[in-house]
Amino acid sequence: MKKTYVLALALVLCFSLLAGCGRSPSQDTQLNLFTWEGMFPQEVLDEFTAETGITINYSNFDFNETMLAKLQTAKGGDYDLVIADDYIIETVIAEGLAQKLDKSKLKNFGNINPVYQSQFYDSKDEYTVPYGAGIQTIVYDPELVDIDITGYGDLWDSSLKNSIGVIGNYRVINGLALKVLGESYNTEDISKIEAAGEKLLELAPNIRLIKDDNLQDDLLTGEISVGVMYTSQVTLAKLSNPNLKVVFPSEGIGFGIMAAFIPSNAPNPDAAHKFIDYILQPEVSARCFEWLGFYCTNKAAEEYISEEYKDFLTLPIDFSGDMEMIQRISAEAEEAHTKIWTEFKSAAGK
Amino acid sequence: MKRRLFECFSLAKCVAFLAVLPLFVFTFIFIIGPLVYMLVLSFLQRAEVWGVVNKFTLKNYIDIFKPIYLKTFIESFKLALTTTFLIAIIGYPFGYFMAKLDGKWKKRMMFILFIPFWTSSLIRLYGWIIIFRANGILDKLLMALNITDAPLKLLYTYPAVVVGMVYALLPFMIYSVYSSAEKLDWSLVEAARDLGASSLQAFWTISFRLTMPGLLSGVVLTFIPSMGLFFIADILGGNKVVLVGNLIQEQLMKAHNWPFAAALSVVLMILTSLMIYIYRRISNVKELEGLV
Repeated sequence: MKKTYVLALALVLCFSLLAGCGRSPSQDTQLNLFTWEGMFPQEVLDEFTAETGITINYSNFDFNETMLAKLQTAKGGDYDLVIADDYIIETVIAEGLAQKLDKSKLKNFGNINPVYQSQFYDSKDEYTVPYGAGIQTIVYDPELVDIDITGYGDLWDSSLKNSIGVIGNYRVINGLALKVLGESYNTEDISKIEAAGEKLLELAPNIRLIKDDNLQDDLLTGEISVGVMYTSQVTLAKLSNPNLKVVFPSEGIGFGIMAAFIPSNAPNPDAAHKFIDYILQPEVSARCFEWLGFYCTNKAAEEYISEEYKDFLTLPIDFSGDMEMIQRISAEAEEAHTKIWTEFKSAAGK
Repeated sequence: MKRRLFECFSLAKCVAFLAVLPLFVFTFIFIIGPLVYMLVLSFLQRAEVWGVVNKFTLKNYIDIFKPIYLKTFIESFKLALTTTFLIAIIGYPFGYFMAKLDGKWKKRMMFILFIPFWTSSLIRLYGWIIIFRANGILDKLLMALNITDAPLKLLYTYPAVVVGMVYALLPFMIYSVYSSAEKLDWSLVEAARDLGASSLQAFWTISFRLTMPGLLSGVVLTFIPSMGLFFIADILGGNKVVLVGNLIQEQLMKAHNWPFAAALSVVLMILTSLMIYIYRRISNVKELEGLV
């Protein structure tokens, strides 16, 4: 087995050498893609290389902050295309580490769903192209739940005692209480955050579980009957059990967007533009989102998404558009959030 | 004068110095360095976006006195106490009687106790999930025996965390009691019996007193880690049992409030050092029996 790897590696090296000999090292032969692991199906990457002759060097990071640090050290160089979360992109743009997109090179730019455009991190859509959105929704098993859940407020119902599982993202879960109280996710008013904390203490008896990884498993095994979870987890849960109900909370939803941008000193900006345009094609995009399991940010791609995925990869037709993004808040407000979160957690353990 | 100076640097001393040098370097880089870093960090301010600002503040220590964070310390203390108590009750007799076995069986028992350590403790904890979960092994067993008629919600509860803690730390108690009991001079017990002491009296006045250091070091070795084993509370407690360890982990990894996490760690370290100091005063030993 090891030998095969060594052989394969040697072959790859030979080929790359040959490629270097054959063509002058022009800017168009490479694309340095920097994002989380597993953001694209391998076939899509291979097809892009086959079609354009551009090889992709995929490097990955775990945390947005690591990405920012590397980009700062490289002064916006080294990488051609980065896909990261909304809030960090705000910092990237503010620090001048991203370059404006040349939209004349992006003929598929119009395919993007406008709902996900003109957001706080790039209000004029000059720097970024969204690639997937995460929406925290409620998912429940109607067989185990007696009430009809339509919004966050229903989670406080006493019939749900000890049966709710939530993700461990305190901005999302504290935000849920803020929403029920009619506040913004991003309020920096400490008294409002503390009021949300009080409200959460009433929710605590219903909480059975707080965890980030694979929360869908607990819903599927019946350990919990209601879950507030990430989109990718909702996708997995729904694929295993189509009878589960996904709720768009009546209070409005919070969402996060992942977006692609080109660093200010990217070595191969042309290749980056080509890649963005490639994945904006409706069919390609639909394949990416089915594979990724996040909300489809490409309006034109929606018709190519197969029926079994449509429910949880596209927004409902009658969707009100009442969305608010979770943004960075002051350190003081952040500390108030961690405090009420700790109180909530220990109250849930009582 | 010059000659004498040279004599000091004899070859043997030089070799000895070079031999211990890696140890000093290692200790400095991996123990003292990080500790100093943590201490310094705990007096700095967090930055608005990411990282820390080099400004002195006592805020991190003052924040620990907020009721919710103090409560976390108390909760950790309670859980550690419960865990240690249960471990002592189970582990002491185990270690004591293991020392009484004959040589061949001693080795076998030792081996049996060692086997679980071949697997990562995290994976062993996932094993407990299979036992505790709804319709899991325990539920099925209880229902088959007609003790319960519906699945109990055992996973993600406080008792589940206690079981996980006891399971993870029990071997430390067994080993330290065992190593203490093994050194016990059994002829003293026989002498006590010859002089008319009942077996219970002999145990209490001779064996128990002489194995006390083992028991106490077992207590230290289980009590201190159980304040900080955050992953057990995470995995088996569904994140609802907030211990100091969980708080530190969350402040560091999620809230990115490194200075506060550092301050919590410093306080936790002071508390544990205090524990070891008290242990030394009580047991009058300079080292932890058996394991250190």
